[in-house]
Amino acid sequence: MSTDTESSYADGFGQVSRTAGTVFRYLLLGATMFGIVTLAVLLVYVANDAIRPLTADLGWHLTFFLTLVVPTAVVGGYLARRNVPALKLGGMVIGMLGVFLLFSGGVAIVFVDIVPPLTGLSYVVGLLVPAALTVVLTKYEQQIPFTLRVAATGAAFILSLVGVPGYFHSIPEIVRQLPVVPADWMILTLVLGGVAAVVVGQYVARIREDTTAGLAAGASALVLTGLAAVVGPTLGVDANAAAVVTSVAFVPTLAYAGGAAVTREQERIGLLLAAVVIGGSLVGAVAVDALGFAGPQSWVDWQFLTSAHSGTAENAGLYPAIGGSILLMATVAALSFPLGVGAAVYLEEYAPDNAFTRFIDVNISNLAGVPSVVYGLLGLGVFVTYLGQPTGTVLIGGATLALLILPIVIISSREAIRAVPSDMRQASYGMGATRWQTVKNVVLPEAFPGILTGTILALGRAIGETAPLIMIGAPNVLFSLPTELTSKVSAMPLQVYAWSSLFASEDFYTKAVPAGVVVLLAVLLAMNSIAIVLRNKFESEN
Amino acid sequence: MSQRDKAPEGEQQAMNGTEDPTNDEMLVETDVSDGLSASESSVGRDAETVISSDNINVWYGDDHALTDISMDIPENSVTAMIGPSGCGKSTFLRCINRMNDLIDVARVEGGLTLRGKNVYDDDVDPVALRRRVGMVFQKPNPFPKSIYENVVYGLKIQGIDADYDEVVEESLKRAALWDEVKDRLHESGLDLSGGQQQRLCIARAIATDPEVLLMDEPASALDPVATSQIEDLVEELAEDYTVVIVTHNMQQAARISDKTAVFLTGGELVEFNDTQKIFENPESQRVEDYITGKFG
Repeated sequence: MSTDTESSYADGFGQVSRTAGTVFRYLLLGATMFGIVTLAVLLVYVANDAIRPLTADLGWHLTFFLTLVVPTAVVGGYLARRNVPALKLGGMVIGMLGVFLLFSGGVAIVFVDIVPPLTGLSYVVGLLVPAALTVVLTKYEQQIPFTLRVAATGAAFILSLVGVPGYFHSIPEIVRQLPVVPADWMILTLVLGGVAAVVVGQYVARIREDTTAGLAAGASALVLTGLAAVVGPTLGVDANAAAVVTSVAFVPTLAYAGGAAVTREQERIGLLLAAVVIGGSLVGAVAVDALGFAGPQSWVDWQFLTSAHSGTAENAGLYPAIGGSILLMATVAALSFPLGVGAAVYLEEYAPDNAFTRFIDVNISNLAGVPSVVYGLLGLGVFVTYLGQPTGTVLIGGATLALLILPIVIISSREAIRAVPSDMRQASYGMGATRWQTVKNVVLPEAFPGILTGTILALGRAIGETAPLIMIGAPNVLFSLPTELTSKVSAMPLQVYAWSSLFASEDFYTKAVPAGVVVLLAVLLAMNSIAIVLRNKFESEN
Repeated sequence: MSQRDKAPEGEQQAMNGTEDPTNDEMLVETDVSDGLSASESSVGRDAETVISSDNINVWYGDDHALTDISMDIPENSVTAMIGPSGCGKSTFLRCINRMNDLIDVARVEGGLTLRGKNVYDDDVDPVALRRRVGMVFQKPNPFPKSIYENVVYGLKIQGIDADYDEVVEESLKRAALWDEVKDRLHESGLDLSGGQQQRLCIARAIATDPEVLLMDEPASALDPVATSQIEDLVEELAEDYTVVIVTHNMQQAARISDKTAVFLTGGELVEFNDTQKIFENPESQRVEDYITGKFG
C-alpha cells in the first residue's frame, strides 16, 4: 500500500474532483443574476415608458453625448485609473447636489405651499424663544434641581406656543399679527438660509478649526441665499423657489466641495468630475436650445410634478400626492422615532432579562412581519371606529404607518445600541456615572448614526405602502394639497394604484403610471442614499 | 515609594534558589530582584488599612467564583493580585467598587469596608461609591470623544465645579501623557496608540481625584514599552493613591507591588503578604509551585 502511494507521488498528487462544487457555484450565480437582471429589466422598461428617451431628436442625443457623456467618461476614466478617492469625492458632490435638489423640491412644497412662510416663521420664533431659555437653564444645570428645570422648560414651551387664552397671546399669534411683515422670500431667506448658515458655519469651523472662518462661511451662506432670491426673478425663477433651492441644495453642496478643495489636497482633483458633469449639462442644455433640437417627450415633466389628477392622462399630475407623502413621512417620523428609539433604549439598557421581556422580544420580531393590510385594519379600528377620528386624514395615515414601521425602528435601533461596545458602558459606570448619564453621554451618541440609518430605511418602507392608506379611507383622488394634520391625504403609491385600478385605461397605464412609479422610486433612492452615506461614514469611523 | 529607585543593584542575592530557571516567566531575573528590593523598603511601614474584606463570597449563578476572601489593603501602596485565569482576582477587584452589581446573575455575600464603611450596606449608593474609587480596565477604553472630553468626563457627570483646563493638564501630566498630546487635545482619544489610550484612561480615572485606583490587568493588551511606562506610572501614583492592581504577569507584580495576594483555582485567596515574602519564601507550597511555574 505504502509503495503504491510513493510511486503515485512521482506523477504529482493526483486530482480531487470539483465537479459538484463547480455546478453548485454556477447555479448560485444563476440564481443571483436571475433576480438582479429581472429587476433591472423591469426598471429599465418602466423608466423607458416614463421618460421616453427615444422620442428625442438624434441631434439632442448627439449634443449631450458630446458635451456631457464624452467629457465625463474621459475625466472619470482618468480618475478611476489614477486616483479612486478623488473619483469618489467627485461622485459624492454630484450625488449630493442631485439628492439635495430633490429634497429642496420637497422643502419648497412644505414651506411655500403647505405652510405659508409667515406661519412657519411664527412657529420658528415661538420655538426659538423657549429653546433659548432651555439652553440658558442647561448652563446652570448644577444649581437648579432637575424637576424645577423640567417644569420651567415645559411651561416656557406651552406659554410660548399656546399662550394663556384670554390674557396672553402665544408668540406665533403675536408674530402673525405684526403690522409690518417681511415678504415671503425674506422669511424663507431668514429661516432656511439661517439654518443652512448655521450648519455650513459649524461644518467649516470644524474642518478648518477656525471659528472666524466658520462665521464667515455662515454669513456668506446667508448672503448667497438672499442674493439668489433677489436675482432669481430677473432670470425668470420665482424668488421663493430660488431661496429654497439655494439654501437647501446649492449652499451645502458648495460648502462640502469647498471644504474638500481646501482640506483634501490629494483628492480635490475629483471636483473636476463634478464640474464636468454640471458644466456639460448646462452647456448641453444651452446648445440644444440654440440648435433647436427637441428633447424627449417625457411623461415625468414639470407639468406632471406640479399639477393634480385629471381626467386625461396627459394632464394628470402627482402634486397633491407628493405633498401628501411628504406630510405623511413627517408625521410618521415624528411618531415612530421617539417611540421606537425609546422602546429600544429601554429594552437594551434598562429591562431586566426575564420572561416578560423575552415575550416582548419575540413579539416585536413577529410584528415586523405582519402584513401591512393588517396594520391598516388596526388603524381603522383604533383611530376611526374607537377614537372617532375622521377617515383618511394626514394624522390617521401617519399614525397607522408609524405603527407599521415601529417594530422595524425598534429592531434596528436595538441593533445599533447593542453594537456600542460594552467596554464603553463599563468605563462610564466605572467613573461613577448613573445609568441615565451613561445612556445620554455614551450609548446614544455612539448609536445615533445606526439608529438614524435604520429609521430612514424604515421610512422608505412606509413611503411605499398603499394598503394601510386604502384601509383607513384615504381618498383615491385629491385635487389640492393637504395643509393641516386633519386634511384628507393622498400619497404617491396610492395615486399610482388609483390610476392603475379606478382609471384603468391604455392611456393611464402607459403614461401616468410609469411616470408616478419613476418619481416614487427617485424619492426612495434619494432617502436610501442618505441612509447608505450615513452608514458608510459610521462604519469608516469605527 | 520613591526609595524604590535607590534600591542597590547588588540586591540580587536576595533571590533565593527556589525559582526554576527553565520557567519562561522567571527569565527576567533582574526585574524580579528589583521588585524584591523595592518592596523591602515598604516592610515595616505602618500604613492605615483602606479596604478590608471580610469573608467575601461571590456567585455567578451557580458558579462559586470567590470563596471566603479576607484581606486588608493598606493606604498609599500598590497591592497586586496574581493567579491563573478564572481564579477570581478580577471578580474581587470588581467587588470593591461594586461593578459586579451590573451583572444580573452575580451575587455577593460577606462584607467589604472602605475606610470602615461596609460598601454592601443598604444605604450605600454604588454610583456614589464608584465616584470615590477609580477604575482602569484591561482593554484601553477611551470614549469616542476628544482627549479633553475624555479627561473631563468624570468631572462633568459628577458635577464637580473646577477649572477644566487646569484639571486636564494636571491629570495628563500625572499620567505621563501631557507632552505627547498637549497640541492635539481636541482630537479623538481613539486616534492614540494603545499605550497612550491606556494612559488616557488612567488620566480620566484620576481626574476626579478618587481615593482608590483599581486596575484590572492594565498592561495586558500593551507592548513591552507601553507596559513599562504604565508600570512606572503605577509606582508614582501609589504616592497619592491606594492602588489595587490585577495582573497576569508575576514579574510585574514583583516589580511594582508592596503587597501581593495570590489567588488560585476555585476562587480562593491562598496567600496574602508582603511581595518580598511571597516571592522569596511563600508559606504555602501551592503558591511556591505557582510562582516557580510548576503549575498554572
